[in-house]
Amino acid sequence: MFTYILNRLGMMLVTLWAIVTLTFFLMHAVPGGPFVSERMLAPEIAAALNAKYGLNLPIWEQYLNYLGRILTFDLGPSFKYPGVSINSMIAAGLPVTLQTGLLAVICVVALGVPLGVIAALNRNRWPDTTVMFIATLGVAIPSYVIATVSIYVFALRLGWVPTFGLDDWRGYFLPVFALSGFWISFVSRLTRSSLLETLEQDYMVTARAKGLRKGQILFKHGLRNSLLPVVTVLGPVVANLITGSFVIEQIFALPGIGRQFVLSITNRDYTAIMGITIFYAAILMVMILIVDLLYVWLDPRIKLTKAAA
Amino acid sequence: MTDISPEMWAKVPAAEKVAPIAPPAPTYGQEVRRRLWANKPAVVSIVFIILLVIAAFFGPYFSPHTYYKQDLKLANIPPFFETYAVTDGAGETTRFFLNASNFNLYEVDAEGNMLGLLRGGRKEMIKKSQPYEFGDQTLTLDYSKLPVRLLLEDGSEVRPSGWSWNKTYLFGTDQLGRDILVRQLYGAQISLTVAFVATLVNFFIGVFYGGIAGYMGGKVDAVMMRFVEIISTIPLTLYVVLLMVVFDSGLLSIIVAIGSVFWVDMARIVRGQILSLKSQDYVAAARTMGASPARILTRHLLPNSIGPIIVTLTMLIPSAIFIESFMSFIGLGVTPPLASWGSLTSEAVETLRAYPHQLFFPAAAISLTMFAFNFLGDGLRDALDPRVGR
Repeated sequence: MFTYILNRLGMMLVTLWAIVTLTFFLMHAVPGGPFVSERMLAPEIAAALNAKYGLNLPIWEQYLNYLGRILTFDLGPSFKYPGVSINSMIAAGLPVTLQTGLLAVICVVALGVPLGVIAALNRNRWPDTTVMFIATLGVAIPSYVIATVSIYVFALRLGWVPTFGLDDWRGYFLPVFALSGFWISFVSRLTRSSLLETLEQDYMVTARAKGLRKGQILFKHGLRNSLLPVVTVLGPVVANLITGSFVIEQIFALPGIGRQFVLSITNRDYTAIMGITIFYAAILMVMILIVDLLYVWLDPRIKLTKAAA
Repeated sequence: MTDISPEMWAKVPAAEKVAPIAPPAPTYGQEVRRRLWANKPAVVSIVFIILLVIAAFFGPYFSPHTYYKQDLKLANIPPFFETYAVTDGAGETTRFFLNASNFNLYEVDAEGNMLGLLRGGRKEMIKKSQPYEFGDQTLTLDYSKLPVRLLLEDGSEVRPSGWSWNKTYLFGTDQLGRDILVRQLYGAQISLTVAFVATLVNFFIGVFYGGIAGYMGGKVDAVMMRFVEIISTIPLTLYVVLLMVVFDSGLLSIIVAIGSVFWVDMARIVRGQILSLKSQDYVAAARTMGASPARILTRHLLPNSIGPIIVTLTMLIPSAIFIESFMSFIGLGVTPPLASWGSLTSEAVETLRAYPHQLFFPAAAISLTMFAFNFLGDGLRDALDPRVGR
């Protein structure tokens, strides 16, 4: 177990290094450079700016400097907003992104799994067809369409919730709904098919033959076994919720990291783009590692060392 | 034996010899086709996709409008409206409709064809009203209180005579007065081109990468798959964003960006297939006969794993459409005045409060297309899987 985690952490470091290198050289391949704008700078000022940010050094030296700074968890300064560091940008946006993201994950599990169970237990009856119809809708409709349509209906027409911002607790409804819509549908479909498969297993028949109570059969024998695929998708769910937040935070004007990222893209704030990408990558890898460990804890049949090989 | 008459021993004519017991067993291809045709949603999806492709590539030629021509006088026209009619003293009737979100009157004919913006008199800012002259009649547009009212001189209110569809701009116009229908068709063209080309690129890279990794096995496989693992650790959307930032937005760069990243799933699936197939006897036979690895891979292994490949391909197309629209939505997609479904949606969001119809059409188009490809993918998976009950 311990060596497995060490192994995975080593792998993560390699991946992170690859991402840092990739983003660094990609960003330096961009024609122009950070200080080229419509407003021409005097050559002296440009030279001074380049010297200040270390851009006059040879590229490998800049690369080593950047690597060194990242090792000390310093993502450097923003080129577009003088005096603002990427670290402070992330620190400002993180609480908002984490709150909505966490609520969305809770929604995915708390709504997706029960809906799937209801559908599976009522196979081919109306609860099943209703849930599956909604789930098909949810998988096919992009999150930004869900977001904008729900703003129009619930905020503009019905006025139940504010159109943007999180000042009010009701402001969380729409962003979380739009963010988790796809994955609620996905998880409910997954739960349904996996539970249907489990219900046909021999041990379910045995449990029924033993005369166990219905609830016990369902939760202890059925659900626990059929939830494993759901746990596996939780890693990608977290990953996609984070990228989904680019659009959702933009639409709902939430001051999170996703919006910050989109803003830095439109501003061509290269250091911010690099920094936030690296931060995302790091977070995601930690999340996926946690999910994998959770998986082993839930299903003792899986051996970590085998998975690592 | 002697009681059998000699004619019983006579030869039976050749045609009668074999009595047909069963129709010839259907081939795998026929079986797949039959199962696919029995799947109603999949068939509807195929028809929808074919119609969509035809409309996207030929539709714009049948329209009098272009995707780039702006007419600010006719901006934000809705696709349907309530017509009003005013008859002046000379007996001439003018038909028009009111755009309740920008307080303009537009003249239309009886069929619903747009004739143009009606010019009104000076706006009275304090009373919030604007007079319009129709021959000897004067109509006052009163927007001091919502909903807007249209008053004649004698104080009576003009009532609408009924709903009518906009015949000139079937889907209305956007905030720059461009025809939404044509922009939508161009958008479909771009979204579909991106999706198909990027998927094709993914297909080639993924199939050969996965095929080589799976067939070679050992060290080569380990290194190649480690590389795939590194790529797929962070969400592919992030890579596409990075590449788009570097390449600058445009049709070609978005194809390159999507095409260069999304092959990892395909590579994984192909590798898995090849791994399970390469120990089959016919591969050993081919190797014994001296076939080169390239030949074994392309002639024996890949054709036998075509089922999962096709299913992955149909699932890649909607995700490419989705990524493209996602990129266009956050401003990294095609450059204006070109349109794609994503950029149409994001433009419509700006005017959502006043003109929700601008959002409806691109949103509906993209959702329906995603539906169609999802159903088609599900149908193909069921049809290609021999284990599914027949």
